[in-house]
Amino acid sequence: MKKKTAQILFLLAFAPFLRAQSPSFKLCSIEDAYPNAKVELMYEDRNSVIWFGSTQGLFLYDGLDFIPFLKSDTSSQHVRAIYQDKKMTLWVGYEDGTVYQLVGQKLQLWMPEEGLPKMPITGFAEDPEGRLWMSTYGEGVYYSEAGRLYNFNTDDGLLGDDIYVMAQDGLGRIWLGSDGGISICSVKAGKKRVENLTREDGLPDEIVREILADPNGDMWIGTFDEGICRYKTKERRFDFPLKNWMSGTVNCLALFKEKELWIGTEGNGLWRFGLQDGSLRQLTNGRNFEKSKIYDLHRDIEGNIWTVSNTEGISFANRQFEFAQLDFQEIQAVLADRDDQLWIGTPDGLFSKDLKQGENAQFQQHFKGLALNVISLHEDGFGRIWVGTFGSGVLCFDPKNNKLRRITEADGLANNNVLSIAGANGKVWLATLGGATEITAASNLLDGRPLEVRNYHEKDGLSTDFIYKVLIDSKNRTWFATDGQGISLLENGKISNFSTLGHSSSTSKKSPDRGLKAVYSMTEDHDGNLWLSTATDGIFKFDGQGFSHLAMKEGLRDLAITSLVTDAKGQVVIVHQSGVDLLTPSTQHLIYYDKELGLSEIEPHLNATCTDRWGNIWIGVKNGIIKYTPLNEVLEIDPRTRLQSVSVSLLPIDYQSVAKFSHNDNDITFNFIGVWYTDPTSVKYRYKLDGYNADWIPTKDRQANFSQLPPGKYKFMVTSTENDAWLDEKVVSWSFEIMPPIWQRWWFILTCLLMVGGLFYAYLKWRDKRQQRVYLMEKEKVENELAVIKSQINPHFLFNSFNTLIGVIEEDPALAVEYVEQLSDFYRSMLQLRDKEVITLKEEAALVAHYGYLLKKRYGENFNLNVNLNGQKGFIIPLTLQILVENAVKHNVISKLKPLTVNITVEQEDCISVENNLQPKVQPEASTKFGLASLERRYELLGGKAVKVEKTDKHFRVCIPIIG
Amino acid sequence: MPIRFFLFLVPLFLLSFVKLEGIKYTAQRGEIHFKSDAPLELIEAKSKQLKGVIDMEERAFAFSVDMGSFEGFNSPLQKEHFNENYLETKRFKTATFTGKIIEKDDFTKDGNYTIRTKGKLTVHGIAKERIIKSEITTKGGKIMVRSSFTVLLDEHGISIPKIVYQKIAQEIAVDVEAEFSEMKQ
Repeated sequence: MKKKTAQILFLLAFAPFLRAQSPSFKLCSIEDAYPNAKVELMYEDRNSVIWFGSTQGLFLYDGLDFIPFLKSDTSSQHVRAIYQDKKMTLWVGYEDGTVYQLVGQKLQLWMPEEGLPKMPITGFAEDPEGRLWMSTYGEGVYYSEAGRLYNFNTDDGLLGDDIYVMAQDGLGRIWLGSDGGISICSVKAGKKRVENLTREDGLPDEIVREILADPNGDMWIGTFDEGICRYKTKERRFDFPLKNWMSGTVNCLALFKEKELWIGTEGNGLWRFGLQDGSLRQLTNGRNFEKSKIYDLHRDIEGNIWTVSNTEGISFANRQFEFAQLDFQEIQAVLADRDDQLWIGTPDGLFSKDLKQGENAQFQQHFKGLALNVISLHEDGFGRIWVGTFGSGVLCFDPKNNKLRRITEADGLANNNVLSIAGANGKVWLATLGGATEITAASNLLDGRPLEVRNYHEKDGLSTDFIYKVLIDSKNRTWFATDGQGISLLENGKISNFSTLGHSSSTSKKSPDRGLKAVYSMTEDHDGNLWLSTATDGIFKFDGQGFSHLAMKEGLRDLAITSLVTDAKGQVVIVHQSGVDLLTPSTQHLIYYDKELGLSEIEPHLNATCTDRWGNIWIGVKNGIIKYTPLNEVLEIDPRTRLQSVSVSLLPIDYQSVAKFSHNDNDITFNFIGVWYTDPTSVKYRYKLDGYNADWIPTKDRQANFSQLPPGKYKFMVTSTENDAWLDEKVVSWSFEIMPPIWQRWWFILTCLLMVGGLFYAYLKWRDKRQQRVYLMEKEKVENELAVIKSQINPHFLFNSFNTLIGVIEEDPALAVEYVEQLSDFYRSMLQLRDKEVITLKEEAALVAHYGYLLKKRYGENFNLNVNLNGQKGFIIPLTLQILVENAVKHNVISKLKPLTVNITVEQEDCISVENNLQPKVQPEASTKFGLASLERRYELLGGKAVKVEKTDKHFRVCIPIIG
Repeated sequence: MPIRFFLFLVPLFLLSFVKLEGIKYTAQRGEIHFKSDAPLELIEAKSKQLKGVIDMEERAFAFSVDMGSFEGFNSPLQKEHFNENYLETKRFKTATFTGKIIEKDDFTKDGNYTIRTKGKLTVHGIAKERIIKSEITTKGGKIMVRSSFTVLLDEHGISIPKIVYQKIAQEIAVDVEAEFSEMKQ
């Protein structure tokens, strides 16, 4: 032990024990991908995604990659200002005075009628009336209202036209920092108003490089020479919380509400100004910031502080956690007291350090001679420090006068191993390995007065005498976390015990597998619930009635938890081997922190935690201290899910404007990201294609591919988490539709059906018509036959024939026989042929020849029939020629003076002409007009050429088409 | 140059220019043209009586036009309406634009420039602050100024009866062209 003390003394003398306590900065290297891009500014948009402006263009940073957004023209890519307005339009201002809007994935030049500035754009802002303001370095400030651009410059009362910075106060007024001071601009009823703040108003330096609005309404001002000042807007005066600034020009500021102001300088690094304790510290730990020029500072929604500097490029750290490495081996207890003394208990004794003295203060050892193994620390209401030891009882001393009282088993202490100390209302409770002790912590305790001690053991009702932790709750009740038996409550001198066994009825449903055994740590949340940590079984929550269990399934990543503390925001801080997690009790949402702490294996000691007077929580680990600052900002606890791009058949599309695809474009790839800067690699995703997937698909990939999607309506949904539990993370979705192929669309099918229906209908119509025609033809034929027969058995014909016959019989009996033969042949042919549809020309010619013979015999020289068919082949409707010849005989005068000649000839090879000279009877024979009309109709029904009838003064001609 | 014009410019000089002895350029020739492209009727007119002066040292300028001098209306009736009903040219004889040049370029040297002027546009007796973009071509001591801008009627208190809405656009497009050369003292 002596050797170790000597070692400690040696270290005390020569080693800087506490390296600067600071957040752990990580670098985001843009140089790998874009070696020439010098980043100068950053902007967090309304979706909490960070954009960087560089000399080579605009970049979006998703935590893993820098995504460039470049102008397509040749003007300067040097970005000087980025802003997203309330309508979510991203504005980008460039060195050459041009202004672009991001439309979809493309930058589009903004072209107001008034023209764009020629000088660099240094900032954008939007006032409550919706005017967009644009500051320039050289032309003052512009604002756009109702599509028109207006200007404020020195002519309007500005103190300078070179605007370094533009900010907005709580009233929406525009604050401009220039070489002449601060100008506050506003527009009321179309009138421009300028109010100036100069040295006369108390501004320490007229060159104003940075203005930052405090959420409380005040304005922080960074100057060229005189550091930082604050303008109290209500009192309308400057105040100077930070005095004796020696670090030159202030370039940029970032604020953690009521906690800390970060100051970036022109060449003197990065500084932190504590708003609670007034401390000013330069950031030195780990990174090369000492002589940095800091271009920009930003506090993001996750509680990270981002810097852009000439030495470290882009880097950021989570402001909630700071780590300082100490050269102690085991830190078993920590305490930050009301005088800002940091106390540390180790196996080698008790050490303290004055936090007010900054980074370089060193630890001093106390009570070296006592060889203490310090395992617990407590400060009572009188500012006295209680030191619990392993084996040496408890020490109480006053750091102001070093008065000391040691209390051991000899003084009535239950046990000399004091694992935990708590106190309230003039009492101090000790948790020991031999029961609990209650000591009345009177004001004169250190003056040797008799002690008031009361012990509680198993015999008094405690479930076991091994107690790890004592806690006074908000109702001033005392709770003990015991080894193996759950928790015990001491209230009004009575002890009651709670464990899952004792309350099996209420807990069996929630945690049937695990019972509450050894409780290592215990904290009360702001709703009065107790949270208990166990050796290997995770966390139990005790609401006064029953227990519920949190384990891996609920998102815990380590079941061996060493400490639980409730922070000022009501979150439960969970300390374990793998890191520090924050639990929101109401939602049970967990955030993991590990790499952000700045160390990989933290090896925390049991209950080595404390909360200082500012609400910061100090956690002692194996070789250092973690300081957790609950930030006053409302922090984002989920990654911001973004749908980065959509590709169809591997080609990226502008998915914000297209959502319908043809059936071929059914191979769709989604690229998404959950932006979680704190730890981008921890982000996990799950996605679902509504209309295709039934369940969510978990993945670590940032891509989802769907190929051969059938036509239909879909909705792609994706969400992300940084822990393993899925609770209420926001879902990003995009709906689209794959159109069915043309032959599956309703209108096409309908058209096809209509067409088929139409064809069918047309066919029916046609068939109907044809049937009707056949029927008509049949009818016509029958009528014709009837007419022909009628005409042939016409008594006149027979009478005439017989008359002719009578004359011939006597003169020439042989001729008479021939005549009768011809007559009977004629009748036979007629009877044979009349049933047929058509007959050959030859058959018809033979028939007409018979008929002609009969007529010739009757009329002698007065009638001539010349049939000349030249052997023409073809068909004809039966009796056609006969009817025509008969007509000619019937309607014309036949006499010696006026002989009738009928010529039957072939005309143009497809038609037979029947022509006679026209010499109509004076008294026309009664005619039914049936013969010719019927012929015409029959030819028409056959569908061939029509029968042509020509009538001149001298001739009558009928052309009968030959049927081919 | 009509004396009337100089009489008019005297108060402008007093207002705009601190020094009277700076190098000044005056418009030798100036033309202003406006166009109202309403759904039912296109109204166009032109005046050659645009006057102007630029003070190169102060980077200040003044333009003025006699509102009664516009010619080229579609009909005498249209002109009468323009003069009596809308612009009330008897009450408000001139329209002016006075102010300063935003750019610091020395455009008396030969070359082409795009500049912006910031000043007060007074039409119909109502002054409005405007930024107006101009194209400048300088050659051999002559400065050609060309600019196009719009005038919103209700900004200048020019009220149009509802029935005539279809005939007169709310936004009037104005084109100005003027040639300046150095004023001999």
